[in-house]
This record gives sequence, C-alpha cells and structure tokens, in this order.
Amino acid sequence: MSDDNASTVTVLTQKARKTRGTGRANLWQLLLKDKVATAAAIVLAFIILTAIIGPTLFGDLAQRQDLGARNMPPFSMHLGWEYILGSDSLGRSLLARIIAAGGTTLGVAGAAVLVSAVVGSIWGMWAGFHRGWREAVSMRIADVIMSFPSLLLAVVILYVFNPSAANIVLVLAITRIPLYLRTARAEAAELRSRMFVDAATNFGAKQGAIVFRHIVPNVLPTLVTLATLEFCYVMLAESSLSFLGIGIQPPDVSWGLMVAQGRQYLAEAWWQSVLPGLAIVITTVAANVLAAWLRLATDPGQRWRLQTKKRRRLIGSVVPQR
Amino acid sequence: MKLSSPRRTASRASAVAAGIASIALLASCSVANSESQGGGEGGTDETLRVVLTQEPPTLEACDANLTSTGVVVRSTVTEPLVERNPSTGDLEPLLATEWEQTGDNEWTFAIREGVTFQDGTPFDAEAAAYSIDRAVNGDLGCNVEGYIFGDDDLEVEATDATTLTVTTPNPDPILPLKLSFIEIVSPETSNTEFVREPVGTGPYAIGEWQAGTKLTLDRNDDYWGDAPEFSSVEYQWRSEGTVRAAMITSGEADIALGLSAEDGIGDLGVSYPNNETIALRFSGQTAPLDDIRIRQAINYAIDREGIVSSLYPDGDKVAAQLIPEGIVGFNADLEPWPFDVEKAKSLVEEAKADGVPVDTQIIMPVRTAQFPKVSELGEVLREQLAAIGLNVELRMVDTTQHLQYQLSPFVTNEGPIAMLVQHGNQAGDAQFTVEQYMLTGGAQAEFGDPGLDELINTARTLTGEERQAAYEEAFAFERENVVALAPIAHQTVMLGLADRVTYEPNSSTGDELRIKEVSLAG
Amino acid sequence: MWTYLRRRILQSALPLIAVVLGVFVLARLTGDPSKLYLPLNATDQMREDFAARNGFDKPIWEQMGDYFLGVLRLDFGESLRTGEPAAEMALRAFPATLQLAAVTMVLAIIVAVVLGSWASLKPNGIADRIVSFFSMTAASVPDFWIAILGIWIFAITLGWLPTSGTSGPLVWILPIATLMLRPVGVLAQVVRGSMVTVLGQPYIKVARSRGAGEMHIVTKHALRNAAAPALTVAGDLAVGLVNGAVVVESIFGWPGIGKLMIDSILQRDFAVLQAAVLITALAIFALNIIIDLGYALLDPRVRPTAGTRARRRGPGAISDTKAEALTNV
Repeated sequence: MSDDNASTVTVLTQKARKTRGTGRANLWQLLLKDKVATAAAIVLAFIILTAIIGPTLFGDLAQRQDLGARNMPPFSMHLGWEYILGSDSLGRSLLARIIAAGGTTLGVAGAAVLVSAVVGSIWGMWAGFHRGWREAVSMRIADVIMSFPSLLLAVVILYVFNPSAANIVLVLAITRIPLYLRTARAEAAELRSRMFVDAATNFGAKQGAIVFRHIVPNVLPTLVTLATLEFCYVMLAESSLSFLGIGIQPPDVSWGLMVAQGRQYLAEAWWQSVLPGLAIVITTVAANVLAAWLRLATDPGQRWRLQTKKRRRLIGSVVPQR
Repeated sequence: MKLSSPRRTASRASAVAAGIASIALLASCSVANSESQGGGEGGTDETLRVVLTQEPPTLEACDANLTSTGVVVRSTVTEPLVERNPSTGDLEPLLATEWEQTGDNEWTFAIREGVTFQDGTPFDAEAAAYSIDRAVNGDLGCNVEGYIFGDDDLEVEATDATTLTVTTPNPDPILPLKLSFIEIVSPETSNTEFVREPVGTGPYAIGEWQAGTKLTLDRNDDYWGDAPEFSSVEYQWRSEGTVRAAMITSGEADIALGLSAEDGIGDLGVSYPNNETIALRFSGQTAPLDDIRIRQAINYAIDREGIVSSLYPDGDKVAAQLIPEGIVGFNADLEPWPFDVEKAKSLVEEAKADGVPVDTQIIMPVRTAQFPKVSELGEVLREQLAAIGLNVELRMVDTTQHLQYQLSPFVTNEGPIAMLVQHGNQAGDAQFTVEQYMLTGGAQAEFGDPGLDELINTARTLTGEERQAAYEEAFAFERENVVALAPIAHQTVMLGLADRVTYEPNSSTGDELRIKEVSLAG
Repeated sequence: MWTYLRRRILQSALPLIAVVLGVFVLARLTGDPSKLYLPLNATDQMREDFAARNGFDKPIWEQMGDYFLGVLRLDFGESLRTGEPAAEMALRAFPATLQLAAVTMVLAIIVAVVLGSWASLKPNGIADRIVSFFSMTAASVPDFWIAILGIWIFAITLGWLPTSGTSGPLVWILPIATLMLRPVGVLAQVVRGSMVTVLGQPYIKVARSRGAGEMHIVTKHALRNAAAPALTVAGDLAVGLVNGAVVVESIFGWPGIGKLMIDSILQRDFAVLQAAVLITALAIFALNIIIDLGYALLDPRVRPTAGTRARRRGPGAISDTKAEALTNV
C-alpha cells in the first residue's frame, strides 16, 4: 500500500468520526452529495405526491366523457387547459387520466410491494434464524410459488372474487413473496452464524430480542433495496396483466391499462399509449437510480464511494473490507 | 503467481466459441413447432394467404357453425346441400340440385351427380344421409345440432342414389335453410368421434396443419365445379389487429379478417356489414329491471347516434331490433328508440315514486375484446345510464364468465343484470334470433311474455309473406310490451385486402370465407 | 456429485406435485367450461353427458386421483377445445419458447457482460453513466409496448423486418430484441457492480503492477470472480423468461408454451393447462439444478455439499444475497 492510500484511509476514518451524528443526518448529506440521486428522489417524491392528492382533485375530470372531443392531440388547449396532453378515445382529458391512473398504479405497486416485503421478510427471517426443517419447508414452498403460473392465479382471483385493484394487489403480492423469503432467509441464516449472535445468546438474550436488535437492522438495507427494485417490476407486471385483459379492468384505470388500451390507436393517436408508457418509464428509472444509490448508502462497506471526492473513487483505492 | 494458464485460456475461448456456435445453430434452425415451407409447389399457380384472428380449434365439419371453424371449412373444404346467398337471402343449389316440400313434414332433395369426395369416395344420397344423420341424430353433441335443430331429430332416407327425403317431427318450412348448415363429409368419417380434419367435396382439401403455426389447404383437382384458382391457401393467425393489418400492408398476407379503422390498414381496408347486432339484455325478473318503465328508461337514455358516429363511424347503423336488414322477419317500420334523457329521467322518477328500488346496483357484464372498442362502449353506456339516476357497475369479464351470464341457466344471485350481448344471425331467418332471445325458455331469454310466445309459435309454421309479417309483428310487440332488450347498433367489420386479390365481402364473410369467391386481380 | 443430483431431483419432486395439484384445483375454481364448449341450446342431458365424459361430476379428490393415475400411464388427458392429447400440444409448444429464451439469454449475457465491464472500468465516468442510464431504461419499459412500437417502426414504417410469424431468419430479431431488453438492463447493472467491487481488490492492483494488460485483467481475473452473482441473476432471469414470454408470444404469433398457457386458461382447457404447467415447472426445476451445478464448476471452492445457495460466495464478489437483491425477476 502506498502512503497515499494510507493517508486516505486515515482521512476517511477521521471524516467518518466527525460526521457521525444520527444515522439519518448522514444519509441526507450523502443524498445531497449525489446530484443524480437527488434528482431521482425529487422526481419520485413529486410523482408520489401527485399520486396521492391527484385522484381526489382530478378523479371526476378523468371520468368525464366528451364524445365530440375524441382523440385530440396534445396541446389542444382550445378545448380547455385540461387537454394539454390531449384526449383519449372517449374524449377524456389525458392529463387527468394519467394522474388518476398514477394513483392506481402506484397504489397497487406500493401495496403489493409492502405486503410481499413484510410477509416475505418476516417469514424468511424466521426460517433463516431457526434453520432446520422450517427452513427446508419454507424454501420448498418458495419453489412452488415461483413455478406457479401467475397468469392462472390472476384469472382465478379475477373470477372468484370481483375484479378490483385490491385483488390485483393480492396476485402480485403472492407471486413476489418468494424473492423476499429467499433473500431474508439467506441473510438471516448467515448472520445467525456470526459471532455476535452467539455472544448475545451467551449473554442470555432471548431469541426475539436477538432477531429484532441484531438480525433485522442488518437485513433491512438489502430488503429496502430489493423492495425499491421490486416496485418497478411490479408496475411492469401489472401493466402486462392489464394488457392480457386479466389485470385492472375498466372503468378503473392504471398506466398499464392505458398503454394496453392505447395500442389500438398507435397509428392515429400515439399519445394515448406513449405518454402513460413514458410515465411508467420515468417512475421506474427514478426508482432504479434511487435504489442504486440506496444500495451503496446502506452498505457500510460501500459507503465510502459516496463520501469521497470523485477522483478518489477510481479503482486502485483501498476498499475497507466488510 | 501465474497470471494466465493455457488451459484456462483454451477453456475460456472454447466457451465463447461454443456460445456463438450455438446461437448460429439455433438461429439457422427453423423455429420449433413450425416447419418451413416445403419446396414442392411446382407450377406457376399462386398461394392465397389469409390471416385470421385465432387458430381454428378444430375443423370438425359438424361444428362449422362456430365461426372460428366455419370460416375455413364451410363451402371451401366441405359443402352443404344448399347454400345461402348472403346478399339476396336466397338458397342456391350446391350439392343438391333441386328440392321441394313433398309433404307436411317432408322435403325431398335431388342430389347432384358426378361428385366425388376428396378421398375418392363417390358422393350420393347415401353419403348425404350419413352426414346429416351424424350431425343431427348422433350422440356426438355436434354444435350445429344444438344451434340449429335443438332437440329435434331428422329422419333421412336415400330413396335412390340421387334422391334424399328428409322428414321432420313438425312442419318446418325452412328446413332447406337449416340444412345449409350441415356440411357433407365423406361416409368414411367416423360417427363416434370428432374428426379434426374432415374430408369433403369442396374445391380445397386439407393439406397440412402445423398446429400453432399454419394451416394449408391444397387445390382439389377433381372438384366438380369451376376449377379452383389458387394452388393452395395458407391460413395464419394473429391476435393483434395492428399486426394483421401490418401483414397486409407489408405484403405478407392477402386477406386479413377482423380489422378496424385504427389498425392502420388505410386504403386496403374494406368495411362491410356483418350480421352482428349489439344490444343490452335485461334480467326482467329482478328489481328494478322487472319494471318495464326502467327498461324503457334505459332505452331512452342511450345516445345511439352519438355512439355510432363517434365510436363506430365506418358504417355501423343504429338498431331498432336484433336483426339487420336482409334477414327474413326484419321490420323496416320499426324506428330506433329516440334519445330522450328527460323522458328517461321522468320514467325513473315515476318508478321510484311507486316504490321500485331504482338504487339497486345493476351489473353490466361486458366481454373483453369481443369486438373493437367494446370496453369504451361499456364505459359510455355506464355513463349514460348513470346520468338518468341508475346505479350501474360495469364489469369486464372474459368469454367463459360472460357465457355464464349469457346462457341459461343464468346467474340469479347477483342482482339485476343488464348485459351487453352481440348476436349474429347467420341463418338469415328471424326464427333463430327470436327463439333464442325472446321465446320463454329460449337459451338466451331471461324472461318471456305469453303474448309474445303466441306470436312466435305461430310465425314458425308460416311461409313467405305471412312469415315475414308474423315476425314483424313479433318484433313490434316486443318493442311495445316487453322491452326485453335495448338494441344498440348493427355492426360493420373491416377486411384487409391486398391489391393483388379481388374479393367482395358480404355479411357472412366472417362465418365462412368462401375461397371460390376470391380471385387474383387483373 | 451424483448424490447431490439425486437429492436435488428428489427434493424437486414434491414441489412439482404441489404445483400441479395447485393448478388442478385452482383451474376448476374458474367455473364450468360446459357453456363454452356446448352448443347454445344444449339440454341438461347434454350438459350431464359432457360432465360425465370429462369427469367433472366427480368430487375433486377423485378427479385428482384419476389424473395422477393417468399421468403414471403417461396419459395427460385431452384438450377440451381441439380434442388432441394435451401432452402433445404442450410438448409441441415448449421447444419454441425454449429456443426463444435460450437465444435471448445467451445474447443478453454477452451484451450485458461487455457493457457492464466497460462501465466498470471507470466508475462514474462517461461510459458508466451512459451504460447505467441505458440499462435502467431498458429494465423499465413494458415489453408489449416495445413490441408494438418495434413492429410499427421496423416492420410497418421502415419495412426492414417481417411483422410476425415464424418463417425465415429475420422473424427472430424483433421478438428477441424485445425480450432481451430487461435482462440486459438488469444484468449489465449487476455485472458492473460486481466488477467494480472485484476490480478494487488488492490482487488486481498487484496484477497491474506486474504489467498485465487491462483486457487481460478484466477477462482473466475480474470476470471469473464477478461471474458468480451474475450467474444467479441470469438464472433467475432465464426462469422469468420461460414464464414471461407470453406477451411477446401473443403479439408475434410465436407458437410457444406461454401463449398455450394463457389460451388454455382463458378457454378453461384444464388438461392442456395442467400439461403446460407441468412441463414449464419441470424445466424451471431442471434449470435451477443446472445453475447450481454451473456455480460449482465456476468456483471449485463452492462444491455443492449442503446445496443451499447461501454458501456460495466467491471472494470479494458481491454477496449472493446482495446479488439476489439486484434481481428483478
């Protein structure tokens, strides 16, 4: 090692000591340091905000049909400000529909991710912590779910229950549980074999306490990163289901359904399909960028990348081993 | 520390080479489940390429009234005794040259001579009798049996090689029309099992069916009629309308079925009325739809002109009854319900004042992708019904679920139902429509009316002018006194036609695409 | 190794049965198919005959028993729609999907490795930013949207490619390009991340100081060690392809197992659905076993002993669970 690198390590350690306040302040500072990640976070926050308050403000406008104003191109403001993005095949404002659909899409994706993450993680941590038959059975169940055709599940749930966004959430959540299950189990199993768990057990800490205070905080970063990526995937999965006719049904609306419905009009009204598709892409890219940043920020071994100045990030620098 | 090892280099290089080789191999091979066209076409004759909306599930001739089967089989691979001309409505001789009613319950047919099946078996009255027997009387459960004949059996007898008598249980003036649905197959065909690839007398015989990929018909050189123009016909199928249209514009196909204007077909699209009519059908035994005022109100609330001019401007016509012009029994004097929102509202108010529970949620099942813009239509209808004060829930369902609502036994535990149905009268006579949708006990009739039943039962036995008048009366009666339905529009559909072929589509093109009516341009 | 193989096969048998059973039961929850297959005026007698012919009138346990007995005789039932043997239809459709998935994965791996390695050479450099942006976008687009756009642009407007179908070599291009986007996007990110970590290892610095060329370092040392997590992700993506090619198959008229599955679901063709699910599940389990074995080949330290994936970890590479965290199957 060169002296250069040794001094870098020293600087890093000192810097880390200085900025060590609450973990949260640290995270914000890191975020602001990375312009791209900040931009992604802002975009995502804006989209989520719109998705939450949008439907209440624009819900009625999204349903108002006007058969005389069908398939209007964007910037048709002569009909009203709401037609800035054009209109759909029934003359409804595309802007209002995209906003209302955003509420459904993000709601469905968010709920599905939340449910699958919570259920899968808890199950996985339990299985990984206990090992033995609990682990084996859980893994086999995960295999079964992963090989199960999700399409059939979607059709069955649509048929047996009434079609609604909640049921789509159920389908998507069930099919994604195995991923969290496997990840959480693997992490928990590995952590369990670490010395600090043995130490805690020796000190007489109860199992529950061990899990909560030691396992969960260590597994959480991976799971959060996973959930962010899963968010994108679930959005795309919902749009595929809607395309096949077994996802969100009219009169409900989602970005995926709008893309699917708009594909019939590609030749004469491309904006009906392209704009909601763009909304999907922008949201998922923002989420991906944020996830990439999170991956680095929540892993103590990789955080240095975000903390050092740019030129120090070249390969050849010493990487403090995890 | 060694930086490289020859063995590792070699293994790495070979892995890459193997990868590239395998891609090349896979790509050069044809796609599994589809073989490339053999080279044995010979001659200068052309192949006609047709693209359908879905693969025929089977080509079994006695299921030929199913459009996905009939579009390939009827009058192309197999032929019936008589064929209906969709434009004039007349029956034309095909495998039978003449026919007449020789008794109250009896018809006699003169069978064409000099015809052979594609497998070499000669065609005669016995063969005709065999096919009819197989389709109608047998235990196969043929689709045509239920669709056309119901529970009735026919007595068929070949009195000699060129004469066939058919006896019906009750007097049936339209028996020849019904027989136009029975495709004649070779007597070698099993009558205990369905046969996926039938042998008939038609101008094209089944050549090769690469299931999932392509269906090829070959010219029948021994065809009794005009020499078939094409040496072979290739059918493919694509579920996306834009893709079907693209195949025409890019020259990959000659005829594409089931297109709409937005698919980008441009000038190569030909719009024509098929015989389908769309309507809302009411469950008239459940409140509030059991009150005729509500049903009338719904009819007044639908802006049919608006719907047609905005969603289906390529020729759809507003409908006043379930059958379009050209079908026997069409009542030309019947005007469509006027669009009168105020009247509709007042009817609803009136009913409400009488204690009818107008707030009960009415379910509107609509079949996904049944026809273009069906979900948009559903949303428009829901809006228009909500505007007069009704509580309607639009429910998009797939085909199987839709059929649960559509066919008897009906769904009775979900409250009042006003479902969107699409009815196509292929036969050309109102009997089929009326006895399905309006006669008490009909397979698609949720409720009935004794007065209407009487009119229908009388009409069935009449012929000619009387028949026409009787069915007209039935439709008028239904409109005034029953209101079991809210007819919306008679539909049109679009065909994609490449420049190199000429074909005049008609109302039955979607049910049977007669290749003998297609010819090369110029 | 053979003991391991045998054990894995046995372990997979139970989940396989569970999947088929699950499909069996769930499919029958979707209602009575008789209205779809019988003529409009079907009498009650006809309905009873139909039910009896297909065994729908028996209690579900009996139906299941009959089905499994039939499977032991290699009789998987017949299609309600076409009358053909269900196994034949599934076996005919599967190779088409397999071809598509295999070619797509191979190409995706090659492209992702090249892009990911190139990006990792200078983290946060221009190449890195371009590749990251492209790969994130590629992983975010809905596949049916891209497919339709692709047909519109390349087949209709430009006329360079055929719209659909299966004849000729050109028909492969659009479906594969569509299917490839997401795997390339995801894999490129994984490879990049993994390579960046590996390239930061001390022994790389040693190799450099000994005068080894960059290409040599990347291919001989870095890729080998970064391959492990990429392999996990690639394996999961491949599994996802087999299951998820249904949309592409629908649009392009590719006669694969995905299209067969969605069609048989929508048409309540139970026997065909069961056969299709069985063959897909078999393939997925086999693929998982192959991946695990491939892992062992790649890293001699990780010979399969207990066989659980958590054990597989190369030095310095992103931990296996992290790799899974990056999976977007």
